[in-house]
Formats: sequence, C-alpha cells, structure tokens
Amino acid sequence: MGIYRYTFNRLLQAIPVMLGVVTITFVMANAIPGDPVQIMLGPSPSQTEIEAIRSRYGLNKPLWVRYINYVAGVLTGDFGRSIFYGEPVTTKIAQRMGPTMLLMTSSYAFAILTAIPLGVISAKRRNKPTDHASRFVSLIGVSTPSFWIGLMFILVFSFHFQVLPSTNLIMPWADPVEVRNAATRVDVLVLSARHLVMPMISLGTLQMAALTRIERSSMLEVLSEDYVQLARAYGVKESAILRKHAFRNAQLPIITILGLQLTGLIGGAVLIETVFQINGMGKLIVNSIFRQDYPLIMGTTIMFGAVFVIGVILTDLSYAYIDPRVTYDEVD
Amino acid sequence: MDPILEVRDLQTHFFTADGVVRAVDGVSFDVYEEEIVGIVGESGAGKSVAAKSIMRLVEDPGSIVGGEVRFKGETIVSFEEDENGERTESEEMLSNREMRERIRGREIAIIFQDPMESLNPVFTVGGQLREFIEINRDVGESRARETAVDMLREVGIPEPSERFGDYPHEFSGGMRQRVLIAMALACEPSLVIADEPTTALDVTVEGQILEQVADLQEKYGTSFIWVTHDMGVVAEICDRVNVMYLGQMAERADVDSLFHDTKHPYTDALLDSLPRPDQTVEELKPIVGVMPEAINPPPGCRFHTRCPDAREVCRRTNPEPRDVSGPDERTHRAACLKHEEVFKVDYSASAPIENETSAGFDVGRTSTDTGAVDADGGVHGSRGGADE
Ligand SMILES: Nc1ncnc2c1ncn2[C@@H]1O[C@H](COP(=O)(O)OP(=O)(O)OP(=O)(O)O)[C@@H](O)[C@H]1O
Ligand code: SF4
Ligand SMILES: [Mg+2]
Repeated sequence: MGIYRYTFNRLLQAIPVMLGVVTITFVMANAIPGDPVQIMLGPSPSQTEIEAIRSRYGLNKPLWVRYINYVAGVLTGDFGRSIFYGEPVTTKIAQRMGPTMLLMTSSYAFAILTAIPLGVISAKRRNKPTDHASRFVSLIGVSTPSFWIGLMFILVFSFHFQVLPSTNLIMPWADPVEVRNAATRVDVLVLSARHLVMPMISLGTLQMAALTRIERSSMLEVLSEDYVQLARAYGVKESAILRKHAFRNAQLPIITILGLQLTGLIGGAVLIETVFQINGMGKLIVNSIFRQDYPLIMGTTIMFGAVFVIGVILTDLSYAYIDPRVTYDEVD
Repeated sequence: MDPILEVRDLQTHFFTADGVVRAVDGVSFDVYEEEIVGIVGESGAGKSVAAKSIMRLVEDPGSIVGGEVRFKGETIVSFEEDENGERTESEEMLSNREMRERIRGREIAIIFQDPMESLNPVFTVGGQLREFIEINRDVGESRARETAVDMLREVGIPEPSERFGDYPHEFSGGMRQRVLIAMALACEPSLVIADEPTTALDVTVEGQILEQVADLQEKYGTSFIWVTHDMGVVAEICDRVNVMYLGQMAERADVDSLFHDTKHPYTDALLDSLPRPDQTVEELKPIVGVMPEAINPPPGCRFHTRCPDAREVCRRTNPEPRDVSGPDERTHRAACLKHEEVFKVDYSASAPIENETSAGFDVGRTSTDTGAVDADGGVHGSRGGADE
C-alpha cells in the first residue's frame, strides 16, 4: 500500500477518535460548575436579558439536544459562537492558531536540533567530560519548569539587560505595514526572531533535555550492534559510521518520543503563552475557562486534540519512512 | 613458505565488574596461503574473541593485552616489555587508521556469527554490499554495483539484480548468510575469517553453503579461518584444525591426523560427542560437565576438571601446545601432559585424580562433587611450568 492510501486510512481512523474527543470535551465543559450567562451579564441582570442570551446560544435546550446539535455543527465546521467575544469560535481559533503553531514548531525544532548533536556527541565521548557536561545540562533541563525558565529569561534579558522583548509574538509572514517598527520584510523577520527566541527556548528546554538522553542511549545501543561492528570490520570510517550506519537506526526511538511529547508541548504552550503574554491558543483556552465560555473551551480543546492526532499520524508516517521493516500495510 | 597470518600467544581479556575474563589466554596458530584453517571449541571457548582480536575489533571492556599478530609482514598486534615487566603496545603496530585503510575488508574480511544481526536493517542489502566494495576495491559506484550483483549470483542468490534493492528483512537467514559471504569475497581479501557462519542454519542449507564456499575458495585462492563448534564441518572443509579450550589451544594438526591420530583428550571427547552414521544415539558420548568460566579458570591444565585421563600432575602444570608429531606427520601439536617424553613430566607415576568423569557417565553430568578438585586448587604451577 502506498503512502497516500496509508495516510488516507489513518485519517479515516482518526474520525472516531475525534468524535470521542468531541464527546468528552462536551461533557467536561458542561460539568464545570457556574453559569456563563451570569458571568457575561455581570451582577443582577434582568430575567429577560438572561432568557434572551440563553435562547440565543441554545442553552435553554436539554443537554442531549445540545450535544447532537453541537456534533452536527462540528461536522459541518461550525463550532458555535464564543459567548464572550460573540464571534464564531472558528474565527477566534484561526486568529490564535498562528502564534501557537509558530511557538510549538520552533520549540520542537530547537529541541531536535540541539538534542541530536548533543546526544550523538555524548554517545561518542561516552563517560568523558563532554558526556558529563551534557548529562548535567540535561538533568537541569528536565528538572526546571518551563515557566520558571521563561520568567528568569524575562528578568534577565528584558528587565535587566533590556535586549529582548518580553511580550507578544510577531509572525514572520506578517505584513510589514501592519507591524510596528518594521519597514521591510527583513525587519519583520528580525523582530519576529527577537520575540520568539525566549519563549521558544523556555518551552523547548524540557524536550531538548529529555531527547538528548534518549538520543545518547539510543546511539550507544546502535553503536554496539553487530552491523555497526561489521561496518567497522570493512574499514568504514568512524565518522561515516556515526553519520550513516548508526544514525538512522538511532532516530527511531526519538520519533516515537517526539509524538508522545506533543501533549507535554501543548500543556507547556499554555503556560508559556501566559508568561510571555502571547495571544495564542493557550492563552485563549485559559481565558475561556475563566470566563466559562463553553463553545470556546470546547473548540480550543478539540483543536488541540486534532493537533495531537495529526502529530501521531505524522510520527507513524516518518517511522515507516525511516524503517523499511515498518510497512504502510500495518493499519488494515 | 611463510604463513600469511601468524598468531603468537595472543591474549584478550575483558575487564568486567566481576573480574578479569580471560577469554583468549595465550593462543597461537598460523594460516598459510589458500588453506582453510578451523578453530573448534565449545561455546565460550573464546573463538569469536580470538577472531575479532585478529582484526583488532575487540570493544570495551575488552582489550588485547598480550601476544603478537602478524599478517603478510605487517604487525597487527605486538607488545614491548620494559624492565619492570610493564607491557605497552609496540611502535611497529599498525595505527588504527592503517588497520582501517589497509587491513580491514581489504586484506582480511570477517563474517560474523549471527546473520540476522549483521546486516543493517535500514539500508538495502545491495547498498551495503556496494559500499564495502567501493571502500575496499577503489572502484566507482557502478562498477561496485556490478561486482556486487555478480558476487550475489556466485553465492547462489537467485535473481541477484532484482534482490539488490531489497532490505535485509526480506531475506531468509540462509540468504543473509550468503550475502555476508558474498560481501567478504567481493572485497577480494587474502583472508576471510568466518565465525560460525552456518551454525544458525539448517543442515541442508549449511551443506549447500559449505560446498559453495569450498568452490569459491578454490576459485579465488582465498585463505579462510573457519570458526565452528562442529567437528563435522571441520572434517568437511578444513585443511588444518586448532582445537580451543577455555581461551587456550589444546591441539593443532592437519585434519586427517586430528581425526585419526588424536593426541589430546579434549579432542577425543569432542569427536566422541559427534554423531556418526555407525552409532546409535545412545552411544553418543557428550562431554562430561560444563566448561568452567573464563573468569576463574582452573589451575594447571584447564581441562583437568573434565578430563578422563587427568592425573595429579595436571592440576599443577598448564601445558602449552608442543610438537608431538609422529614420524611422517606435518606438525602436530598437543597441550597434554600425557606426552611425557615431550613435556618431561612424570605423568604415568602421578596418581589419577577424581573429577566429574570419575563418577561415571550419568552421575557425572549431574554430580556436584567437583568441589573436591577445586578445593585443592591451591597448588599449581604457572603456565608453561613444564619448560623447566
Ligand atoms: N563483551 C564481553 N564482556 C565480557 N566477557 C565477554 C565479552 N565478550 C565475550 N566475553 C567472554 O569471553 C569468553 C569467550 O567468548 P566467545 O564469544 O569468544 O566464545 P565463543 O567460543 O565464540 O563461543 P560461541 O560458540 O558461543 O560463539 C566467554 O566467557 C564470554 O563470556
Ligand atoms: S594434561 Fe592432563 S588433564 Fe590436561 S588434557 Fe592432558 S591428561 Fe587431561
Ligand atoms: Mg562465538
């Protein structure tokens, strides 16, 4: 079976999973105590006002009817309207998705691009000073909460040295006209990078630390395999052994972990967006919970669920791409 | 004629948390041009470690701690001793880079024990073959590819050009073993070290492969070191044999002499344990007891805990292999004190000792009375003590 069929099948399989996500989200959101209408209208609203809002958002119908309506809506791409903003949930998500995706992908990139070389070097110089240093960095990395790293960055680089901005993100593709202090595309890119660097490292450090250890042990394991010894026995250079004969095999566990760590990354994004005042999905979800904005809570949660499901599919796709023993047939 | 490979008193030890494992502890043998030399011995005798030592492929926690390996005038392993008896690697030893560029693959190729683990699962079989040929024969990609396909055909892989792009998991064990043999031969080395290459295979496939190897060996004139624990395989393809026991050589002779004029009790035991057409299963005699650990080898002759001919003197003296050849024999060496005239010890006057064999066949295999032997192990001469 080809890669396209496989992807298509995986997406089909994701439908029941997403339906489960929608159901659970719906139940949980409705289980939150408190009345959103009350919060919206402030203290002592009139009964007619309350009734009007309730019927406008369909809150006066029984729960199961609301559930069916909601699922039907989701299937047609309608996630309802935010109670707080009054706008369609999809519009809100579309506005906020960009910064979160930028943050998450750049953090992943940061983690992968630092962890892999570090892990490989650690394995190569096993139990030598470089290895100990990398072990130390990893240990600190896994045991430091991301928001604390973020706060320290702000303290040092924004307040003390005043070299980096502490709030907001700027999309690298943003129109220069709409970005303050930017005249050209290059200005936008520079600005974007300056805004991104601290949140990216704060969010990516944990992943980076964990990946480094996994990369090291995975590499060590592969380096002791017979086929690596065989390559050595046929006169392959040590550098080529690291780069070619061992490297690819050693990445298999990394890919699995990357898929699984996506949940941690999503959770971390919520915190980091709050710390750095980034108007992304994370901040949106937190605020919608405070405001008991049900449609928005559900919409954002479902969106994160979808991101995770897609991430897992991508993981499996790349796994099969790297390891010829895994074929695209296994899903049927 | 000089041998192409000379191994002298090779010692490879593993420095583990539990102590020093003397996996190879003073092994000597030669390989001449165009011959197939067998190394036989039970599991754990140190055959694989010896094979890897020749190519300096021993990895942590192991290292070569003594002896010499010379190959076609190049020094692969050699040590120098200073006044304090401290051993250091000698200057004339090839550097790691020279080993890589001049020896490994190009002059000596190895076939590892386990065909299932020896090929890289994420690269195609042909790709791996091609890469090693390119490295070791200085040819370009397309030439290497042709050679690879030709070689795959020669070792009996059907439709080699179609199979070239397949991955290892698409090959059976026997086919992978053929690929590994093709790999070794395609680099046109002068010596191939084959570490039990057919042990994992069923007898029919083993037979086919042995036949093909014998043909190819004749065609290319390559020398082979054939590591095995199977005397049957030795009889089939080897010219000369080295019998290894617990890190040391027990006996070394031409195949015919070894089989028909056996001079070491361990070789006898190995041969007795070999199924023959004229025997029933009941008549088979497995070697009594298990081989002791290389981490704590018995003093004296290492075989004395299991040797049916062991005497008091065997506990004290560890014999090195000496020339015990008969009048019209090529060199036949044995490390056994039974050959009193050669070892100059009073074997016959020495009292027989009790060991695992004394209790008889059935009891001996389960009995734990070996303690009687070990308890007394304090008195022992050093290795080679028979010299004086
Ligand atoms: N990496 C290692 N660390 C510690 N001990 C080792 C290591 N490799 C081998 N040994 C020890 O060296 C001894 C010889 O092992 P070797 O693999 O050479 O045996 P072998 O004769 O090839 O046996 P087999 O027929 O099972 O392959 C054994 O006692 C083994 O435990
Ligand atoms: S020296 Fe003694 S113990 Fe060793 S093989 Fe000969 S007879 Fe047996
Ligand atoms: Mg072995």
